[in-house]
Amino acid sequence: MLVLGIETSCDETSAALVADGRAVLSNIIANQLDLHRKYGGVVPEIAARRHTELIGYVINEALDAGGKSLPDVEAVAVTARQGLVGSLLVGVAAAKTLSYALRVPLVGVHHIEGHIFANLLSNPEMPLPHVCLTVSGGHTWLVYVRDHCRYDLLGGTVDDAAGEAFDKIAKFLDLGFPGGPVIDRLATEGNRKAFAFPRPLLKAKSLYFSFSGLKTAIINAFKHRLASGEQLPLEDIAASFQEAVVDVLVAKTVRAAKEHGVSAVSVTGGVSANRRLREAFVAAGNSAGIRVYFPSLSLCTDNAAMIAAAGHARLKRGYADDLSLDVIPNVPLEVQHAG
Amino acid sequence: MLVLGIDTSGYANAIGVVDGERVLADFTFQTRNESLARIMLNIDSVLGENSLSLEDIGGFGVGLGPGSWTGIRIGVTVGKMLAYCTGRPAKGISTLEALAFGAGDCQRLICAVVDAGARETIYAAFYRGGNNGLRQVGDYYVGDVAGLAGLVKEPLTLVAADAQKYRNALGQVLKSDNIEAMEAAPGGAAVASLAATRLQNGEHDDTLALAPLYLKESTARAFVNKYKRRAQASASG
Repeated sequence: MLVLGIETSCDETSAALVADGRAVLSNIIANQLDLHRKYGGVVPEIAARRHTELIGYVINEALDAGGKSLPDVEAVAVTARQGLVGSLLVGVAAAKTLSYALRVPLVGVHHIEGHIFANLLSNPEMPLPHVCLTVSGGHTWLVYVRDHCRYDLLGGTVDDAAGEAFDKIAKFLDLGFPGGPVIDRLATEGNRKAFAFPRPLLKAKSLYFSFSGLKTAIINAFKHRLASGEQLPLEDIAASFQEAVVDVLVAKTVRAAKEHGVSAVSVTGGVSANRRLREAFVAAGNSAGIRVYFPSLSLCTDNAAMIAAAGHARLKRGYADDLSLDVIPNVPLEVQHAG
Repeated sequence: MLVLGIDTSGYANAIGVVDGERVLADFTFQTRNESLARIMLNIDSVLGENSLSLEDIGGFGVGLGPGSWTGIRIGVTVGKMLAYCTGRPAKGISTLEALAFGAGDCQRLICAVVDAGARETIYAAFYRGGNNGLRQVGDYYVGDVAGLAGLVKEPLTLVAADAQKYRNALGQVLKSDNIEAMEAAPGGAAVASLAATRLQNGEHDDTLALAPLYLKESTARAFVNKYKRRAQASASG
């Protein structure tokens, strides 16, 4: 089955063709970073406007790059849940129109389910069940993946997403937007132990995260020095901040895997491209006897191939939607045990 | 040629079908927050009630706004994707022009007004009727009613969803009662009719490039631009 995937939940306009939930024929991603950079974050109205301008071109390009035409499309999958409402709406409007005009099934996908499938697309041998950590600028979720489309939500963030903390620290230090890549780069030159920043909720029993306090601790520690024009040890701050985030993410994910008796963990989302996070996960996995999987770099950030793959799995289990499909900006990943 | 017109710039799905100058269907579904949920079902029911299918449609009229920013994006995306999927041509139509179209072959100057939804702001444009159809006079207007009054130099017919309110406000500023009010909402058939005329003249838009007519920049961008202008002014002053 050839599925056309559409993803517009935040600031990436993406369309992809995926055959049988496995073979990525095309995965076109138009990112809008240049439009949002000067604001230090994604501006929802600007993102929604850009999606509306780009959506047709991106879908057309996905078909061209995949060597297919509209009549070849057998189903349309679209991110309909979790994201910026104005952004989600553009993708869903396009997907519904395609489904109606081409008379093919339509399926709405939860954005986090897409990230879970980014890993399954990159690593088809990945065992089930496993534990999946999704970390990005907008999300931090720990999910027990029993099977395709069968999940238990284990934990998430109670305030800022991990990637959001990177963005906010980068903004505070005037390093630009997005914060992830620049902090990753600076941290390679810095000392991870230079500053002992807090590891929020590290010792707590729950599998929930909190990154807002870490951000505030760093801002409070350096704001006066920054205001007085003092040259800050940016590399050391970046390395120590990154280490605090990585410590918490790795510890909680490994603990979740042990508690659920699984031998495999997947780490997805934009922050999963962070080099120190990957290194620390592999090291912790090795000592705990847990294999850690990452998506290929092109599937780490938001993309439509993962949505097409998740949509394919949902359709196979009978979770098709009708033309009344609407967007839900904030809703937990569906916990589905039936089937 | 059958033309399907869509306008979702208000809190409604306005959907119409015309065959040349004949209106086959003209429905306005009040949807409030369910514009996205209802749009395809409403299009399907309008076509179905006229025993039509999408394949019968030869072209599309797409209401571009101005109006609710979120609302417009639904209709513009649906309109452009319908044209893309069917390979039929599309023409974007200003929602203000669609409103003015409702005034028919009025001899007076026509002023179409849409509420911008914030701080007493309105979107407006002036049109003249005639044998060759509507012709826009001057630029689009974004501002308050008092500012609009400054542009009025002659008797006019005001077309808007709450035309009476604007007529009273304009009348007070202008101290004139030479303003006719015509209550109307942008209709799907009006969008379709305007598009049909243009499509028949070979004027169609680049389908994938169809984009809303916002008339206002997003708040964030407006804020930054204002800040930049101030900085430039203080640097040059």
